[in-house]
Amino acid sequence: MTVNNISGQQITYDLIKKSLDASSTRADVISNNIANINTAGYKRRYVTFEDTLKQSLDNITMKKDNSLHMDDGNSFGAISVKEDSSSSMKVDGNNVDIDSEMANQAQNTLMYQALTSQASSRISMRRYVITGGGN
Amino acid sequence: MGAFTGLNISSSGLSAERLRMDTISSNIANADTTRTETGEPYRRKIAVFQENLDRELNSVTGQYETKLKGVKAVQIVNDNSSLRQVYDPSNPDANAEGYVSMPNVNILNEMADLISSTRAYEANVSAINAQKSMFSSALQIGR
Repeated sequence: MTVNNISGQQITYDLIKKSLDASSTRADVISNNIANINTAGYKRRYVTFEDTLKQSLDNITMKKDNSLHMDDGNSFGAISVKEDSSSSMKVDGNNVDIDSEMANQAQNTLMYQALTSQASSRISMRRYVITGGGN
Repeated sequence: MGAFTGLNISSSGLSAERLRMDTISSNIANADTTRTETGEPYRRKIAVFQENLDRELNSVTGQYETKLKGVKAVQIVNDNSSLRQVYDPSNPDANAEGYVSMPNVNILNEMADLISSTRAYEANVSAINAQKSMFSSALQIGR
């Protein structure tokens, strides 16, 4: 295994960690939307990560030859919470749609579990290599 | 953002919905109450909710960020719409014309609100369960 391979794997691993962060933030935001389902004038919030991830992977990022050097911090896209002020379903100005929030919550939980099992399998692969195939 | 922020947010939703249910129960229980401490007939009570936000200094970027903290009940207000006038001369609270001012509680509205509140409560419970299953899968990393 060359040095390049190690850093390539590290990038994937960092990406999984960042996605877990995004998923965790999204769970909080969806919980907040559900908790405010009866709050007059509340506008639903959502998390953007995947679309900025696409942009940032296309862009040129700062090169580092040492992991201790500073980077721009956004090499995998920024996790940001935004407010959807567009439409309103109810007369009180609240635009939380409980069905879509529940569907998003379920989807997000599955996504989180997929990411944790990815992280787990990567760790167990490394353990397999370290122990030379044994336990 | 702490690890259990989501659980705290959902539990704030649970207590807010419970307060709303208590208010609705009080309205239903007092649907025919013609006397209160002030001498007026009972007026319908409404729980008012507000989104709970907190500003926090980010240790990495050094900027203030808005943190979501769920929902909070700010006050319980009286519904000041007009009271129902019922003709009942034998009632001790009847006025000179024989009309009694009854509370402005509509039982059908209250039952519909009660169901909406129950559903919102259940939605918060399932959000807590989703968060719990995320935590338990995070604990399985590396096993």
